[in-house]
Amino acid sequence: MRSVLRLACAALLTIACAATARAEVKLTWFMWSGSEPEVVAWKHVAELVHEKYPDITVEFQTTSFPDYWTKLPVLAASGKLPDIISLQSLRAPGFAQLMEPLDARIAADKFDIGAFEPSIIKGLQRGGKQYALPYDFGPLVLYYNTELFAKAGLPEPRPGWTEEAFMKAARALTKDGTYGFAVSEPDAFIAFARSKGASYLSDKGDLDLTNAGLKKAFADYVALVTKEKVAPLFPASGTQSSSVANGRFTAGNVAMYVDGPWQLLNIKKKANFRVGVAPVPVRSAGSITITAGSGFGISATSRNKDAAWKAVQVMTGPEAEKYLAEAGRAFSARKAFQENWFATAAQDVTGAREAINAALATAEPFVTTPNWSVVSALFLQYAPLAYAGSETPEKVLETIQTLATQ
Amino acid sequence: MASRRRRGDATTAALFLAPGLLGLTLFLLLPLAASLALSFTNWQVMGETSFIGLANYRRLFTADPVFWGVLATTLAYTAEYLVLNIVLALAMAVWISSLPWGRTLFRLVFFLPTFTPLVGVALVWLLMLSPGGVIEWGFAGLGLTVPNIITDPRLALQAIVLVSLWSHFGYNMLLFGAALEAIPATYLDAAAIDGAGAWARFWKIKLPLISPSLFFGTVLTAITSLQTFDQVYALTRGGPGSSTTTLGYAIYNQGFVVYRLGYASSIAWVLFAVIMALTALQLHLQRRWVHYDA
Repeated sequence: MRSVLRLACAALLTIACAATARAEVKLTWFMWSGSEPEVVAWKHVAELVHEKYPDITVEFQTTSFPDYWTKLPVLAASGKLPDIISLQSLRAPGFAQLMEPLDARIAADKFDIGAFEPSIIKGLQRGGKQYALPYDFGPLVLYYNTELFAKAGLPEPRPGWTEEAFMKAARALTKDGTYGFAVSEPDAFIAFARSKGASYLSDKGDLDLTNAGLKKAFADYVALVTKEKVAPLFPASGTQSSSVANGRFTAGNVAMYVDGPWQLLNIKKKANFRVGVAPVPVRSAGSITITAGSGFGISATSRNKDAAWKAVQVMTGPEAEKYLAEAGRAFSARKAFQENWFATAAQDVTGAREAINAALATAEPFVTTPNWSVVSALFLQYAPLAYAGSETPEKVLETIQTLATQ
Repeated sequence: MASRRRRGDATTAALFLAPGLLGLTLFLLLPLAASLALSFTNWQVMGETSFIGLANYRRLFTADPVFWGVLATTLAYTAEYLVLNIVLALAMAVWISSLPWGRTLFRLVFFLPTFTPLVGVALVWLLMLSPGGVIEWGFAGLGLTVPNIITDPRLALQAIVLVSLWSHFGYNMLLFGAALEAIPATYLDAAAIDGAGAWARFWKIKLPLISPSLFFGTVLTAITSLQTFDQVYALTRGGPGSSTTTLGYAIYNQGFVVYRLGYASSIAWVLFAVIMALTALQLHLQRRWVHYDA
């Protein structure tokens, strides 16, 4: 018995010595991903940290995007938050409380925050404090199928194209089981509403879905399915409407739909036609789209905050941003590397450069409420009632407002 | 001497029981107690937590705009699904047991869906039921226009019933089938000689003799259908609107979408109470129709 104990002590001592001698830090990093190539890209980013700081190893942990936001609070509740947390700008108001403000570290290291796009820097703030450094951002744009446009003899959408041109195209493209457009919510609808000058937030920044302007905008949006019949009816389901729209678009069944530049690589992989990109149509208030993006920050409960800060700087640093842009995973949050995205991911996409530049000229950061994931889920659950004509669009917005603010 | 041995037996028994008891305590009793305690708090995973007494329950019964609808949906689903499941499983079991050949094959075929992952199954059903899907296309081919059951809030629950039936009736069918096989042929032969037709043999002999299995199947099916979650999660996420939101899904939604775990725990305890009440009622009623004296 005694010899066993002695052996165990010796083993423990050896381990302890080895640990202190090398002072290695193992960081955990939690991030969403939707495909194997994405996982490969993120693991490469983690590797970059180890290359720069050989004593730091970043362990990549991942899950799907919707599950990420379910697991993160559970990890927080069980005291198992990773050292590095990934944060999307729409979720910043709700989840920043799990994270450490970075302002003191940014100031101490004289870290150049000006190299990033200002709107996404702001998007990852809460209460004036910076909670994450961004790796990507982008405006919602309109993806279209160039072949279907050519077959219908329609001119391809260009920056400045109007609502009338959009409707004409949507009607002409809707035939033989194919649809001109696909609706999704809430994000794509918010871009639609903003272009009509309607707001979804009150002046104080609270959720306000029941104002007359937004009700009218939602009624118009729903009419694309119910009255105009240029967009298919999707049932409420476990798949987000934007993913269903993406699937129907890449299958060639829908000619246009609205999504972010982060989808471009996945779209190109699945679609066997040439893809085009245009800004959302000019409506009564202009072509106003919303921008969103994501970044990395440090968990408030991490025991390795200094190492995590070093890692986050590398993960959003020039080398990582160049790699992510060229791999097509991210429209870079660093202004200097946006060109790499245009030159690689978007090189065989019609109109990508002018569409994104035009969209950015009038885009607004997507401002949300702290419970935005609830609002989002409610839209997915209740909007189909309006699309199916079972309830009026106005009533649906009233229900979502009531349930989201109860 | 005798009492010492008895004590020795008791120690041995306790030792043998310990692992099971430990598991039961750790993984059942403790979480149960914890969820009851949670239901009196406003725990939201993130942020401060405080004890709020009965406020969750008060809100559930008086202020929640969807709770009563969700409870009604759950009960309607359970009633419909339970009856259809038992009738279908029994009918299929009787039919298969009457076959001269291929009983094992048919049992296997109808039991297959039971061990198919429901999430995958639900995705396929979703594709078939969606507007423009194969079911709508099939009806259109026959010149029929039928309302789409998954987008119509009045019918969406039927989609859940349909998928649940398809995937789960095989279990009861197997259970009833085994009970039917166990009926001594002499009873049926004697009844046939006395002039009892197939119908009379079913109602007067087979049904009473398999009633313990029927009871077991009914109780278990009622409990699982009250807890229904995965079909709803995979198929409709409670939508359109709240037309397919069951208590099981509402617990998940409040807990892991809205992050109100205290509130979710209070719904879980309401569900627990409903299940207890229904099971107690069934145990009480069984005296009238279940025969254990075969």
